[in-house]
Amino acid sequence: MIYNKNVTNSEEEAKEYTNRYKLLYFCLIAVSVLVTARLFYLQILQGEILRTYSDKNRVKETNIPAPRGLILDRNMEVLVDNLPGFEAVIIPQQVENLEESTKAVAKVLDLNPKQLIKHVNTSKRQNGMFRPVKIKENLTLDEVMRVKMLRLNHPGVNINATILRSYTMDKNGAQLFGYVGEISKRQIEDYNEKFKGEMTFVLGDIVGKNGLEEIWEKNIRGKDGISFIEVDARGREKKEKSQAESLLGFKPIDAKPGQNLVLTIDKDIQQAAYEAMQREDKIGPRIGALVAIKNNGEVLAWVNSPSYDPNEFSTGISSSLWKELIENPYKPLRNKVIQDHYAPGSTFKPIVALAALQEEVIDPSTIIYAPGRFRYGNRVYHDHNRYGHGNINVHKAIEKSSNVFFYKMGIQLGIDTMYKYAKMLGIGEKTNINLANEQSGLMPNSEWKKKHYGEEWQPGENLSNAIGQGFVLTTPLQMAVAFNAIGTEGKVYKPFVVKKVIDAQNNIVKEFQPELKRNVSEPNENGDFISNKNFKEVKEGMRLVANGQNGTARWWKIPGVQMAGKTGTVQIQSFSADQIYKKCEERPFDMRHHGWYVGYAPYDKPLITVAVLAEHACHGSTGGAPIARDVIYAYLKKYHPELLKRNKKAPPKKLVQESDPDEVEE
Amino acid sequence: MSIKSSSLDMQVEKRNFFKKFDGNLALVIFALNLIGLINLYSATHGVVLDHTVKLFYQQIFWLIGGWILYFLITLVDYKFFYRLSYFFYGLNLIALALVPFIGKTYYGAQRWLDLGFFRYQPSETMKIIMIFVIARILSQKSSYNGLGFKDLLLPGALTLIPFALTVKQPDLGTALLIASTTLSLLIFVRLKRSILVTACLIGVVTLPAVWSFGLKDYQKGRILTFLNPGRDPHGAGYNSIQSKIAVGSGQVLGKGFRKGTQSQLEFLPERHTDFIYSVLSEEHGFIGSITTFGLFVVLFFMCIRVATQARDKFGALIVVGILSYLFWHMFINIGMVIGVMPIVGVPLPLLSYGGSSMLTTMLGLGVISSVAYRKYLF
Repeated sequence: MIYNKNVTNSEEEAKEYTNRYKLLYFCLIAVSVLVTARLFYLQILQGEILRTYSDKNRVKETNIPAPRGLILDRNMEVLVDNLPGFEAVIIPQQVENLEESTKAVAKVLDLNPKQLIKHVNTSKRQNGMFRPVKIKENLTLDEVMRVKMLRLNHPGVNINATILRSYTMDKNGAQLFGYVGEISKRQIEDYNEKFKGEMTFVLGDIVGKNGLEEIWEKNIRGKDGISFIEVDARGREKKEKSQAESLLGFKPIDAKPGQNLVLTIDKDIQQAAYEAMQREDKIGPRIGALVAIKNNGEVLAWVNSPSYDPNEFSTGISSSLWKELIENPYKPLRNKVIQDHYAPGSTFKPIVALAALQEEVIDPSTIIYAPGRFRYGNRVYHDHNRYGHGNINVHKAIEKSSNVFFYKMGIQLGIDTMYKYAKMLGIGEKTNINLANEQSGLMPNSEWKKKHYGEEWQPGENLSNAIGQGFVLTTPLQMAVAFNAIGTEGKVYKPFVVKKVIDAQNNIVKEFQPELKRNVSEPNENGDFISNKNFKEVKEGMRLVANGQNGTARWWKIPGVQMAGKTGTVQIQSFSADQIYKKCEERPFDMRHHGWYVGYAPYDKPLITVAVLAEHACHGSTGGAPIARDVIYAYLKKYHPELLKRNKKAPPKKLVQESDPDEVEE
Repeated sequence: MSIKSSSLDMQVEKRNFFKKFDGNLALVIFALNLIGLINLYSATHGVVLDHTVKLFYQQIFWLIGGWILYFLITLVDYKFFYRLSYFFYGLNLIALALVPFIGKTYYGAQRWLDLGFFRYQPSETMKIIMIFVIARILSQKSSYNGLGFKDLLLPGALTLIPFALTVKQPDLGTALLIASTTLSLLIFVRLKRSILVTACLIGVVTLPAVWSFGLKDYQKGRILTFLNPGRDPHGAGYNSIQSKIAVGSGQVLGKGFRKGTQSQLEFLPERHTDFIYSVLSEEHGFIGSITTFGLFVVLFFMCIRVATQARDKFGALIVVGILSYLFWHMFINIGMVIGVMPIVGVPLPLLSYGGSSMLTTMLGLGVISSVAYRKYLF
């Protein structure tokens, strides 16, 4: 047997270990002394104090909520603030008679007692006796007083201080700022994975949902603190200094506020923009989007309309209001400035003009016959003016927004050449602004058509795309960036909205500088560029739009400063020939054209560019231009008053308009 | 004649059983069992929740099973474990290796094999089987001058495989306990001084590396929390603080059976498993906790006595191995409850609720009883 072979059953053998047992005795005695001493210390020396803790007293752990960082405008004006608030809670552990106390609270706060008892019991089962159960948030001061009275007879009922997120501009800018709300179960998992090691998220946490609040969560979010309060058996706080800290190692932790965001937005310009979008003129409050950028890409104003009040979310949005927001066909929650696609319509024409000049299809003196209708292949293409514009050069073509002129440019250039120039100016590509869900837009070419439709590019499609109708899709922000590039003669900037991140002590955590994506007046790797001279020609056409005799936006001026821009009107469905000249206003609202206006000022060296899209406003001239004018005026008045003519009065606030612009640009 | 002789043998055997059986050992174990049951009744019959009530009756079932195992193993000559140690080790290793593929995942760790009627945790039995294997290897070596580096290669390798498999589950606690029995046995049989010194040096040098790369965040957290309970008063620190209040508030005589407010009102988490000792301390005070602890110490002294009287080296070594297994469990668990050790999920033998823990503990004690049964009579 193996056993016997290797091991002698001799007593001597086993005696090898005799001395080693001392080691075991030693360990055993050492541990005995340690455990006995510790038990003696806890149960006899500290026993009385610890008994008080467990019997009559409880150490109540209170969360000190950390305030989220503020959102400030470029001049440190507060856009998003924090206000103190109160909530009522029940701590099941401290309640004497749960049912009675819950009923009493329900009565005072006007809640359904049965549901409340159920709610408290569910939480008790899931989270234990200790976790305070939230009963009602955002108490009025009156309610706070009533609950405080109640506490005398109902221990375990408490008032907690909370922080309410407050959006000082209310509905204005809501889609940019976002809103806050309780974290969802799915977000808890996502965030804890994403911010592993940096911060943890638990049920009940308030987080940013949408917009800057969501994207900058990591910076805006503070770190909650913890305080320990001794309470007696009835849940009332004790006045004496707590021994909990020294005896049990409870250490209070201060709340650490989140970092503040300093935006490029200017509160006054933002306000002017919002008011302009909400103006009560013939068209009424605009549905759509407005964005204003400085010539270096800084966003000055960002408006979506219709809007919603993010303060409603801070105080717990009602389901009926939520339903209303979700079901509103004009999508108040949507950040249309970057999240919706629109055909650019005639605002695309300056880009086609640049392509035609640079490719030497025309020069500034080339005169082209532009009638009211144009036959190509076996189809007739119309102008918005049935009498046409006669013999015109490129300046006039832009000023009057001639369709036939640009049909002819489209035929001669072909889609792939137009594609090249549009791409250079950023059409159909993301601006890469640091905001969620930006749409890229679409600039088609023949390769794209083949890939997505499996068909060759049709020559006729050159015509519609040349006037920004066919497949071309852009976002308002893209248009603002492209027009700023035209105005600055080639500088395509990456727009940005956050200038600085600063901490509570005003130390700079992060700072962002303007970022030039490319300068298209210099040849790129393929040798493509647009010369400054050609930029100047197109800019002259756009100056005429706002200032010329026949300019489509000539009604809106700023004394002392010449603006430049381009109107656009986008058919949202095709009409038969007899319907084309039907008055837009006579159509059902949802079938009316969208109006665009993208403009900048001053015309030669732009300081600010504004893009306005007004859905179903029929015309870009009346729908967009007056709004852009007001925003530009507000900006120049604040930052460059020397440019404005002092002797003249400020432009009238109300739209003065002798006659409706009768053109329906296409 | 053969019939006659066999019946005579039976008589001898019968008479011998009561003479050879270590009754005192069984009595101490039984006393601990009784304390365990009384205490578990209190812990599972709290005023708030009732889903734990059935656990008490399950524990009685495990206890009966444990005692059957105890007597059966007492009658088996422990040579059996010597011969089959590698076989058991191999079987257990296969089971352990199967866990990542067909194992069940509970509480975020994959540790169990589903045997239909029973959830088997291979790493738990490995703790005991490791003892047999290491004891067998060491019993073949003479160690008057201490074991050298070469002697450590085989035990080291045999420990490292199940250790690594268990760490991967992940279950660092159990893995460390597997390693701790091997280490305890090696130190018991004596290591060369040079090896002890090098081991200490390596330990000190690699500690920072293990801290940064080897430990998961929650494991680091527990150690930091142990050093400063206020660091994480929501989680592990909270348990530690509440446990200290529970133990201390028991004072000298305790609050009385089922009258511990800390435990009954659910201040204590896991009070029927990991924190069972705080329930006992709260309800029965210094007297109760010191008596229970004292019984453990008495049990361990008896085990050492069995080892000193063992018939051979293997017998002595398995007793010491099982003793270290019980000792480390008890010390880590009670240490955690009274705040001298970090929070680790280790059950208290004989007192905590749990089938695996009860059966393995009784099996181990049965082996000790078996060694005592075959000791030299002086």
